[in-house]
Amino acid sequence: MDPVLSVRDLSVALTLPGRQRTLLDGIGFDVAPREIVGVVGASGAGKTVLSRAVVNWIEPPLAIRSGSVSFRGRNLLALPPREMRRLRRDIAYVGANPMGALDPTLPVGRQIVEKLRAVMPEVSPKEAQARVVALLDAVRIPSAASRFHDYPSQFSGGMMQRALIVDAMVSNPALLVADNVTQPLDVTVAAQVIRLMRELTERFDTAILFVSSSLPVAREAASRTLVIDAGKLVEEQATEALIAAPRHAYTRALVAQIPVIWGERPTLPAAPKPAAPVHADAIISLRDVSQTYRVKKRGSFAGTSALRAVRNVTFDIVKGDSFAVVGESGCGKSTLMRLLSRLEHPSGGSVLCEGRDIAGLSGAELLGFRRKLQLVLQDPFNSLPPRTGIGAMLEAPLRTHGWRDPRKIREKVRAVMDDVGLPVSLYDDLPLGLSAGQRQRVNVARAMVLDPEILLMDETLSALDQTEQFKLLALFDKLQRAHGLTYIYISHDLAMVRKACNRIAVMYLGEVVELADNERLFFDPGHPYTRALLSAMPSLEERRYRPEDCLMEGEPPSPIDLPLGCAFRSRCPQAFGPCLDRPPLLSVRGARDLASCHLVPGPGATLAGAA
Amino acid sequence: MDAVETSLALPPPHADTAEARLMSRSIGRRILGQATGSTGFKIGLALVLILALAAALYPELSGIDPVKMDVRARLLPPLFLGEKWSWAHPLGTDQIGRDMLVRSLVGLRTSFLIGVASVALTLLIGCALGTVAGYFGGRTDTVVMRITDAQLSIPMIILAIAVLGVSRPTIPAIILVLGLSNWPVYARVMRSVVMAERGREYVRAAQVSGATHPRIILTLLVPLLLPPLLFTSVLDVARMMIFESTLGFLGLGVQPPTPTFGNIIADGRKYLLNAWWIATMPGLFLCLTLTSINLIGAAFERARNTIHGGA
Repeated sequence: MDPVLSVRDLSVALTLPGRQRTLLDGIGFDVAPREIVGVVGASGAGKTVLSRAVVNWIEPPLAIRSGSVSFRGRNLLALPPREMRRLRRDIAYVGANPMGALDPTLPVGRQIVEKLRAVMPEVSPKEAQARVVALLDAVRIPSAASRFHDYPSQFSGGMMQRALIVDAMVSNPALLVADNVTQPLDVTVAAQVIRLMRELTERFDTAILFVSSSLPVAREAASRTLVIDAGKLVEEQATEALIAAPRHAYTRALVAQIPVIWGERPTLPAAPKPAAPVHADAIISLRDVSQTYRVKKRGSFAGTSALRAVRNVTFDIVKGDSFAVVGESGCGKSTLMRLLSRLEHPSGGSVLCEGRDIAGLSGAELLGFRRKLQLVLQDPFNSLPPRTGIGAMLEAPLRTHGWRDPRKIREKVRAVMDDVGLPVSLYDDLPLGLSAGQRQRVNVARAMVLDPEILLMDETLSALDQTEQFKLLALFDKLQRAHGLTYIYISHDLAMVRKACNRIAVMYLGEVVELADNERLFFDPGHPYTRALLSAMPSLEERRYRPEDCLMEGEPPSPIDLPLGCAFRSRCPQAFGPCLDRPPLLSVRGARDLASCHLVPGPGATLAGAA
Repeated sequence: MDAVETSLALPPPHADTAEARLMSRSIGRRILGQATGSTGFKIGLALVLILALAAALYPELSGIDPVKMDVRARLLPPLFLGEKWSWAHPLGTDQIGRDMLVRSLVGLRTSFLIGVASVALTLLIGCALGTVAGYFGGRTDTVVMRITDAQLSIPMIILAIAVLGVSRPTIPAIILVLGLSNWPVYARVMRSVVMAERGREYVRAAQVSGATHPRIILTLLVPLLLPPLLFTSVLDVARMMIFESTLGFLGLGVQPPTPTFGNIIADGRKYLLNAWWIATMPGLFLCLTLTSINLIGAAFERARNTIHGGA
């Protein structure tokens, strides 16, 4: 079959007055109809530039230096704008930022209809609407006909990304360029989106160029994968072959960096002995912690309803632990983070630090707690004040804690910058030119400068590509060894958790549904939700859990109207009688592990088994 | 503090002197350096200095009394214009022979003082209230914003006429009226930018490191958000100076015989056809002052943007 897309010798350069930088250098590949081709590379390798070049969307200061992008034999780069516009119906593009791609003031459906009628003016408005609703239904947006009239703010992130796929697919394109579409999504939703894309190639003969920064994700979707490094195409192979036998050194390094999940873990990060008695030296303890927010009731003027973001969470974090809290977005992870860091007080229960309720701290004691627990934030761009020099940024916490001698402060800051691998020459620079990885290092340094005992990592690695994650995890490991730190990771990335943490709490709708040690959680999960998360996790290895058996459709119910019985039953493939009306309790599984599911044998059974 | 002490005992990793010297140039210094290097700044500064020195010293040094009448020298044109110009009155005289240069410079004094002081007052009230409202939100925000709305609903000119018409229009009274009438705009702007910044993650990080609210506001938010506002406030100095002239023109400014831009224009307006310079001179001085202030302000803004990458 003739390739639908063929790129030959494509070079793109960034041209600024006085200098030029090559971003893509002599790229060439083909995409056949119905084929999904993956493009993988580190951030900054030129993936987004490539996906834009393919849809002829290169704008100054970028410029095409040489080469051609042929779609069905016609070179797009040489087409006059009018012809190109006609081709837009056959070539579609979906980006990584669904929130930014939709106009917040117009209903979602209307925007998609508008796009369809722009590329295919012959379709009547009524027909267009019917088609959009049908497609929204096809991507499993519940009650598509009424959702059609909803505004983007009423869609969740996953739904919005699916709506954008509809937006791209609505004209039955022959080629879809998907630039990092699964990046902002939870694993379970990402798995749904990838499955949806596969179906689309079969139903509409669409070819897909699937750009991703993660090789495991590309493996889920693509049959053939290109690896790009620093603007050059370094390897092209069938995906499985690429993973099994990478030919290029860069690919080999890339594959080696992917955390191993089911195999033997190389090193446990300074984990306490499993034999250590529970509650021995818990540094942080949560006792029955709940947080309820009052939110405005929809469609009423002054009425409020209770949003139960965190419900009755109890666990201990032992000194030296690497503790992880995992779950999908909206499960209460971030609320828990705010409670742990005393940005908010729980509406019920208490958070104890070394046995003292942190809500009752004030004055010097509070400052002492503040020094002990530091936060490392998620968004590398939002988390640094934009117009403060890096040195000044790192000095600020010291000044807060009463350091006065400028020379000592400067020395301390330099020592910490050295510690986290930031060149000291950045002291007076603004964060402006820093890469995401370096920004996260500044973030870590800002937390480390006070010599804390606990670091609370709020999705610290999720914005980074595989290579940067790998480097930062090594740094965390080093710091933990050197300073005896306790880590609390708040994350949705199970692969990272598998590599970095020794104890894991899984949250669903504000509750801890499973609490277990690393090995146990991954090899013998006690809760069907854990199993679903594990099955959806992209990896390079043989799957242990088949998505067909445990992957649920749809999204979690709203935390405002919690269902009766088990909160998970609406998505659970194993739901049965008692799940309908009786909420399960956290039950003991073995010496240290807990899960809340009716399928877990009750305490009596455990005792009987032990006896 | 033990851990802190031990880590300090390590030898400083970078003690190179050249590097240390380079690092001692803080960002503020770099902006200052870049701004003062630009031509616009130099011209602006020179103009401001000349005007300020002239306004401060000339009326006293020259010994010319701004209210002294000289009927024989009435309606003299400025230098080199018309027939009867004289070196004794470089900018001419008015209808009763008062020296225009001295009168204008005395007027500039009051005008500039009122302009700067009232904008400073506006900035202080507006930014303080706006920051507090935006940062704390909730009930505080509601109260502050309702006060702002109330203030906004009273037209500035009517407020000024009411207050100054009833009491004696002294300089402090005028500053107070002008300052109070304009702060809601600043409060609004400050509130919205503070609200946007408050939600950012770095504010949370500061909170977790133990920083108190006043510390966050004063060390993080104000240094970030105030500079753009300061730049626009320079333009407001111009507006206030013009407003002061308006009040003077209406007879609500500083009272004659003290010359102000307003009453000079009011006097000169009857002679606009045959002695245009009387009403024009205040405008000329106003224009020069404002241009030079703006040149300085723009130089700083540009330097700030180059250093910070045009964000």
